[in-house]
Order: sequence, then structure tokens, then C-alpha cells
Amino acid sequence: MATREVISTGNELAAIAAVDAGCRFFGGYPLTPSSEVMHEISDLLPKVGGVAIQMEDEIGGICCVIGAAMAGDRALTATSGPGMSLKAENLGLAQMAEVPLVCINVMRGGPSTGLPTRVSQGDVLQAKNPSHGDYKSITLCAGSLAECYTETVRAFNLADRFMQPVIVLLDETIGHMHGKADIPTIEEVKAGVVPRKTFDGPANEYFPYDCGPTEPATLNPMFTGYRYHFTGLHHDKNGFPTEEIETCRKLIQRLEDKVAMHEDEVESYEEFMMDDAEIMIVAYGSVSLAAKESIRHLRKEGIKAGLFRPITIWPSPAKKIKEHTDKIEKVLVVELNIGQYHGEVQRAAARLDIDGLFKVNGRALSPHEIVTKVKEL
Amino acid sequence: MAFNYDKYLRLEKMPTLWCWGCGDGVILKAFVRAIEKMGISQDDVCVVSGIGCSGRFSSYVDFNTVHTTHGRTVAYATGIKLSRPDKLVVCVGGDGDALAIGGNHTIHACRRNIDMTFIVINNFIYGLTNSQTSPTTPKGMWTVSQKAGNIDPTFDACDLAIAAGASFVARETMLDPKKLEKIFIKAMEHKGFSFIDTLSNCHINLGRKNKMVSAMENLEWIDSITIPKKKYDALTPEERLNLLPTGILKEDTEADEYCDMYAEIQKVQQGLRKVISQDDFAKKI
Amino acid sequence: MAASPMVNPGNQPVWVNTDNCKACDICVSVCPSGVLGMKYESTSTLGAMISIDHPEACIGCNECELTCPDFAIYVADSKEYKGAGFSFAKLTDDAKERQAAIVANNYMSLSEQGVK
Repeated sequence: MATREVISTGNELAAIAAVDAGCRFFGGYPLTPSSEVMHEISDLLPKVGGVAIQMEDEIGGICCVIGAAMAGDRALTATSGPGMSLKAENLGLAQMAEVPLVCINVMRGGPSTGLPTRVSQGDVLQAKNPSHGDYKSITLCAGSLAECYTETVRAFNLADRFMQPVIVLLDETIGHMHGKADIPTIEEVKAGVVPRKTFDGPANEYFPYDCGPTEPATLNPMFTGYRYHFTGLHHDKNGFPTEEIETCRKLIQRLEDKVAMHEDEVESYEEFMMDDAEIMIVAYGSVSLAAKESIRHLRKEGIKAGLFRPITIWPSPAKKIKEHTDKIEKVLVVELNIGQYHGEVQRAAARLDIDGLFKVNGRALSPHEIVTKVKEL
Repeated sequence: MAFNYDKYLRLEKMPTLWCWGCGDGVILKAFVRAIEKMGISQDDVCVVSGIGCSGRFSSYVDFNTVHTTHGRTVAYATGIKLSRPDKLVVCVGGDGDALAIGGNHTIHACRRNIDMTFIVINNFIYGLTNSQTSPTTPKGMWTVSQKAGNIDPTFDACDLAIAAGASFVARETMLDPKKLEKIFIKAMEHKGFSFIDTLSNCHINLGRKNKMVSAMENLEWIDSITIPKKKYDALTPEERLNLLPTGILKEDTEADEYCDMYAEIQKVQQGLRKVISQDDFAKKI
Repeated sequence: MAASPMVNPGNQPVWVNTDNCKACDICVSVCPSGVLGMKYESTSTLGAMISIDHPEACIGCNECELTCPDFAIYVADSKEYKGAGFSFAKLTDDAKERQAAIVANNYMSLSEQGVK
């Protein structure tokens, strides 16, 4: 893979990635610590003929993004915890109507106003079910500066592939981290862009929501001669509202299965020194950087620790987790919340004895704290 | 006239779910006639509607249509319009959708003066969900959420739109469908945010428990509370108390339109013009 | 929906699509010329259905077509109708009186009892 070296922050890299991946619309609202994504992309998009708008509130932010995506643009919004809460209902509409978009959440201390300028990973469970009702989430988590770029690019391709919102989790640490990153070249990114499928037959043979039970809808951009209806209500193959029993059941099942039956296309994780690991650390996001450093320390002392890092958080890499947890007795989930992914690891492992190192005071975890905890296991 | 409505309807969805005599159908027909007169291709039109009886508007018409969440109509439409500024974008919402839950989006779409038309079908009640108070329900009327009588004051939607900066503000009723059609054409041809307070009857919800059981009684009531703007202007404040002016209440063809202004930003960023500054504007605050 | 209801079924000044009529009475109330009335119809929504009782009195004002919310009533296109050699009626005092009687009869045709 051809790369280039850049010096930037996580937030800015996410914005640059979006534009490189073909995003031409941004809608959002300032919210610490995500605002820099908006600042950067507001500068970049008009240069390439795109549009960035600061709306009157977070809800306006997600709504205009869904509108632009319906019109055919790759569209982005960026926010933090409180904004995700506000966007919940409309993320649900995008999910229901199968509108592709990318939603970046730069996590901060919560709940509520919480700790606006401090780090947390407290929105992991929220990303699994951001809306009411059944929701099959695709959520990615950047674990390095370079991944702020590459995961945003991947998010746009996944959104178009699966026709739904894709959430990209950053956190305050990695969003504001300033440093060097090796990222793919623009040509590399452009060559990898896979836009949404479209239908090019006669308009009277076009049924946007008529697809196989594990396939996403085929939504032609607006104003291209294919007129249909978007709605958040249960709908039939034309997009028109319906309450018909089988249609409704099939719709919800398909929204689940279109991702669940293709998890191989979404799954992504890193195994760091896991080959001979006797202790498995599970960490993601900025915490994984500290975890890796702690593993280097532990290894120097002869303790065989390894890191399993989910990059696609939802759907979780449950099978892979279980492969390891079936063989490794000591498993430690390290996260900046009170155990949100810990619950998922226990579920995947079918074990109730998974250890946890949880930090909820808005400060980062140091390698030293992780080393200390591992030694206590 | 035997107008060909079929061309613009999703025939498989007919008949509409609206109650007998509901003004929504009259408004839909006036809108369709307006589009025909303007000669715009159906592919170039997007109709965005909210939640409520008026929200079902978009599913009946054969354009690019969106049925959004409650109150978010203009926010969705803002994204669609900015993405495709050369297309006709029309929002349809109820009094609850536009003025209660959607109030903030309505205010800011007016403020931006973005080129779209917002048809607010104001029937003075929450109809679809059965008779709850809306921001325009007259004081003292019976509603299901205020059975002892409505104590909530109303506000004038057109006053709000004008104050917030919309450049075309009008009020009409479904009593005169020909006038309605004309005002729709003017609104859609206007470059800027067009806000139309379209008074409609809901005899099933508002009327039934407020001594106006039939559609006709509600129409008479709407007639009794409206008066053309010219006559309204000549009245004293006491005489105006229980009347709403109809017609075009504001028309500013000079106001900056948001998509045009955004095109200027694109020019700045592409090096085609200098940075926008306060000197570019007469109104600097 | 029936085949193109806006197509004149045979040189009529006004015609209806009973599939779409919800018996709201509005068209009857706005007709100046006593052309229309409601008739009892046990199989329809409100137990009534629109009836064109006096087509010969239709003045072609279009009020019924414009105010019908449900695409149920159509008035002949003026040019086409006249081109085919027909003409709309003029509004007479008799017609106005009949209209007043229909309104007083709860919008029911004068041949029907006024109570719904």
C-alpha cells in the first residue's frame, strides 16, 4: 500500500479522510471535543465543490446529512456523546430507510454534560443501539492517528455497501492527539472507493426496497429519473408505508441479516503479541496504545501478555474473542468506562470471570496502571 | 377543468387516509396544479413532509419524496437543497410539526433564507394523534390534553417567519383553491425561503368537540377569522384581535439566498474571489 | 382506481368517481346552481354518496372540482366541452333557490329525507 507521512491531529485526519473518500456534504454542530472535525471539513469541502453547514442544533446536523445522502452525496456528521443522544431518533430513520452516512463520535466524559474536555469511552453501548427499536450497528473504533484516517475511509465504503449509518468512535485523546501518521495516498483511497449500488433499468421496474433477505436496499440518488419514497415507517418495496404483517417482519429481519450474514466484510481486529499470550488484554481506541506499551514492559519482565484489539466494535468479533478466551485463562478488559465492552467480552466468551480495569474519571490510562493490574491477576 | 391529477399521484395509494372533507386534499390538489402550471419536471421536484396528517402528503404525490421524523422537515430539506441547489424543494408540515417540535428548524431556515417553500398546513390542532393542543389552538377550546379548556396562548406563524427572516411570507386558506394555487406558484418561484401559513379545517378533531361538527362549519369559522391584508391594515387593534390577515404579507426579492451565498464561499475557497467580509453586506449586524 | 376519471364519460358537464367520494358534502355546499345532492347509500363510508341530479344546470364554475379533497368530482374542460358543441348553463334564480333548499335539506338531494 502506497503511503504518505502527515503530521496532524486525529480530528483533522478524520475530516481529510472523509473528503479524500468522496464525502461532499457535512452537517453538524459544535461540540467539544469533536468541533475540529467540523472546522477542518468546513475549510476543505467548498474547495472541492462540496458543502459544509453548521446547523442550529445537533438534530438539524444529522437531518441535513441524511437529506444530502438521500440526494446522493456521501455525507458526514461529527459529534460527541451529548450529540449522539440528540441524534438518536434520526439515526434510527437512516437505519430504517437504509440511508448511508458516517457519524463520527469523539467520545468524552459522560453521561450528560459530563467532562467536556476529557477522555472516556463511555458511548460504546450507545453506539450498539443509538436509536430505539431494533438496530444492527456498524461501529468502528480508531486506535491510532493513522486509523482516524483509514477507519473513516472504510466507514464510507461500509456505509455504501450496507446502506446504513456507520459510526466511527474516536475519543478525546486520539481526536486531539497531534503527531505523525502514515496514511494511504489519495490515489490509493480513490481507487478503493466503492460507491453504493444503483439500478439502471427502466423506472417502472425499479423497486428500491425489493431485495434479497440478506441484501441492502438499492437507493438511486434523487432527481435521476427514479422517483420513490423514503419513510421511517415500516414500508414496502416502493418505500410506501405499510403495516402488512409479513412485510414488516421481513423488513426488520433483513435490516439485521444484511449485516449479520456478512460479518466477514465488516470484521476487523488486531492481534498484538497474541501468538503465545498467556494473558489476554482487550482494549480499543486510545487505550490500546497504552495497552501495547504495557505489553512491551510486561514482556521484558517475562510476562506473556498480548492485546486483542477490536477495530470493528459492532458487530463484535465474538467468534475470534471466544477462540482466544477458550484457551487463555486470564483475560483483562481495559476501558475508560464502567465495563461496557467487558459485558460483551463475557457474552462472547460465555464466561463470567473476565477481569476488568475501568477508569471513569476523565483521565487516560497509563501503561503503568495496566502493568500493575495485570500483575495482580 | 377536468385537471389531470393522475399524472401527479401515486394511484396505488388512493384513496387518501384523510377524513372526509379534510382540507389536506384541497391543498394537495392546489399544489399539484401549481407544479403543472410552472412546467417543472416531476424528477426535479422533492417534497419533504413531517409527521401528522399533513405528513402523509408526500406519500401521495409522484415526486422524489421523503417522510421525515416529527418536526425535522426543513432540516432534511436543507441538506437536500444544499446538495442539489438547482432542484425545487418543497416542505409540507403541520402546525405542530412546524411550530412546536420543529420550531427551531423553522426559525433557522427562515433566518438562512434558503430557497425552498414551506407549506404549513395549519389546522389549529394535532389531528393524527387525536386532538392535542397545538401552538395555534385557540384559547378556551377543548382539546384532549386540556379537557378543562386550553390555556395555552397562540402565536402568529407568519409573524414568527417574518421576524426570523423569511423573504416570502403568506397566509391563505383552503376556502379559495384558486388563490391557493396562485400563492403556491409565487412562493415556489420566489428565490428564498417561502413560508405559507395554510389554514385548513379539522372538523374531526378540532371541530367536533368545539361545536363545529361538519366540515362546512369549520370552513365558515376559518372564513370568519381571516380577512385580506389590505382590509386588515385598515382596522383598529381591537378589530384585529380575532382576525388573521391573508395574502402576501412579506415579499423581499433582494434578500441574499443561502445557496447563492454558499456558492460564494466555494469561490473563496477555490481562489476565485477574495474572502467574504463585512464590507460585502449592507446589514452588518 | 378506475380508469382515468378525469376523462369525460360522455360529454357531461360534470361527473363523479364514486370510488373516491367520502361524502363530505363540500361540493354540494359550494355549488351555486343546485346541480348536486347526496343520496343514501348503505354501503359507503358515511351512508351517503354524491349524486349529480341536475347536470343541465351546471354553469361550469369548477367550484366543486376545486374544493373536493378526494379527486371524486370533475368538471368538463371549458374549451373541449364548447368545442364539442355543448355549453354550460347560465345561473338562474330557480337554480339558486333549489340550491338553498338542498343546503337546508342537510345537503341531501331534495328527493331524500334531510336527516342523516
